[in-house]
Amino acid sequence: MNKFAAILYDSFLEIKDRKIFYFYWLVAGVIVLVFALLPSLRMNGRDILDGNVLGGEALNGFVAKFLDGFLGFAMLLLVFGSAGLAPSFLSKGRVELVLSKPIDRWRLLSMKFLGIYLVKAVVLAVVATSVWLTISIRLGMFNWGFFPGLLFACLQFLVIYAIVFFFGVLTNSAAAAIMGYFVIRIGTDLLAGRKAVYPLLSENSLWKTVLDGLYHISPKIGEMSDNIVPIMTGKGITDFYPVWSTMLIAIVFFLATLLSFNRKDY
Amino acid sequence: MNDSNAAVRVIGLSKQYAAGFRRTPVLALSDVTLDVGNNEIFGLLGPNGAGKTTLIKILLGSLLPTSGTAAVNGFGGGDWRSRLSAGYLPENHRFPPYLTGRQMLFCFGGMAGLSRNDIRGKVDSLFELVGLSQWQNTKIRKYSKGMMQRLGLAQALLNDPQLIFLDEPTDGVDPVGRHEIRTILLNLKKAGKTVFLNSHLLAEVEAVCDRVAILNKGKLIKVGPVSGLLDVKPAYHVETAGLDEAVALEVMNSFPTAKFEGTVITVTLEAPRQINDVIDMLRRRNVELVSVAPVKISLEESFLELIQGGGHHE
Repeated sequence: MNKFAAILYDSFLEIKDRKIFYFYWLVAGVIVLVFALLPSLRMNGRDILDGNVLGGEALNGFVAKFLDGFLGFAMLLLVFGSAGLAPSFLSKGRVELVLSKPIDRWRLLSMKFLGIYLVKAVVLAVVATSVWLTISIRLGMFNWGFFPGLLFACLQFLVIYAIVFFFGVLTNSAAAAIMGYFVIRIGTDLLAGRKAVYPLLSENSLWKTVLDGLYHISPKIGEMSDNIVPIMTGKGITDFYPVWSTMLIAIVFFLATLLSFNRKDY
Repeated sequence: MNDSNAAVRVIGLSKQYAAGFRRTPVLALSDVTLDVGNNEIFGLLGPNGAGKTTLIKILLGSLLPTSGTAAVNGFGGGDWRSRLSAGYLPENHRFPPYLTGRQMLFCFGGMAGLSRNDIRGKVDSLFELVGLSQWQNTKIRKYSKGMMQRLGLAQALLNDPQLIFLDEPTDGVDPVGRHEIRTILLNLKKAGKTVFLNSHLLAEVEAVCDRVAILNKGKLIKVGPVSGLLDVKPAYHVETAGLDEAVALEVMNSFPTAKFEGTVITVTLEAPRQINDVIDMLRRRNVELVSVAPVKISLEESFLELIQGGGHHE
């Protein structure tokens, strides 16, 4: 058993022990059951479960939007479910034991991050795929664009978890990790719409520069997720800037987490 | 001691914390220097807040020193290689409650670099050693404090370390368990291991340790063999049938350390043979002697004397 396998095993058992782990499956199970048992799904008086009623493209778009919504909801649950994992790993009485093992601090934390992320990403993939499969069987139409979309959602969750992990390690508190993430998430969504307030700032270009600067250095999670539906419907990534800049910022968050952990007394 | 192959070497180690909202500096360790040789059981004693756990945490890389150096197995405390052959049972540990005892050994054994087969080959004998065989598949959240200590000990021994740090290993363990742990420690010494024992239970330290160090308020006030710690000036209780004031005054003049309690004189001397002078003096004044007995000083009394009265670093 190598060191990473041990940390992965520990992460899996800890995640499995938390009640929210079963909530993911419950939500997915309810959706699967609803779609599996629903006799019809009517829109404008017509049953869209009858594949011929809507055009293939429209149906694809409808399903992609539904799955995008489901992925967004699942990721929200994952944030709540994973925020406490880093603080628990670093809790007093446990962290001393972990740090006494022959592993570099930066490697230990990287392995823990990756361990938690992989378990959560697998959960996300399995629940989302089970929902997609049920809908696809019911519609008799398999949109394989779902998988690149799912992969992109996992990438987005990597960014989200890097932020949650950063606040978790920094504060040793699950609540602070959740709050930190939402402050950034809401703040960046507001910054994405900054152009709406430009007319109110009259001639003051300093504020525009500040808002633009903040926008560019913040993770654009909301804009990143706007790409999921186009990917699922085969249009691909519509805007690369939010994707690569957000990935870059996530790396900065992760490096800052490692730096903080390396210098911290436990 | 000055062993170039010391298992633990600490030189001029200091640790300062910033405490509270105002970040007031608190000196947890002040210029501590000590060596722990291979194949010895070394005890670290001190009252609460003396800096014992801080020292162990620096040695194992949980805390970063403010100044000085701390080396374990020839590597700096922050170097992961120093922990390759080290085991650790922390004080106030919180083992993951979602794991069973067996799962915990697999997780922490894996983190220590052991293969799955290595762990599988050791787990049963370790559970037997610490008396937890029938509890190995029970979740840790159901363990008592004593059971967790036993599990922690098994975890510390899993990678067959050469150097084992035990921070209050018998905390919460019943007397039978304490005796068993003591036996395990002595067997570890027989097997050529080095044990660094951090404890406030003086009898435990006295029973198993070869050498001890005493820390008080972050300062090392004494280090040496346990027998050396007990090496204090001889004292005697002299019980008489009766004492008058003139005799008492004469004894006081000759032996200023003499204390009187009813008909009993307690006198501390420079050398044991001086008790004859005390007896001669009393007999010359026709004082009837009932008994003469040496005052036995325990490690606890010696420890208290050092802590309360300061001390010197040998």
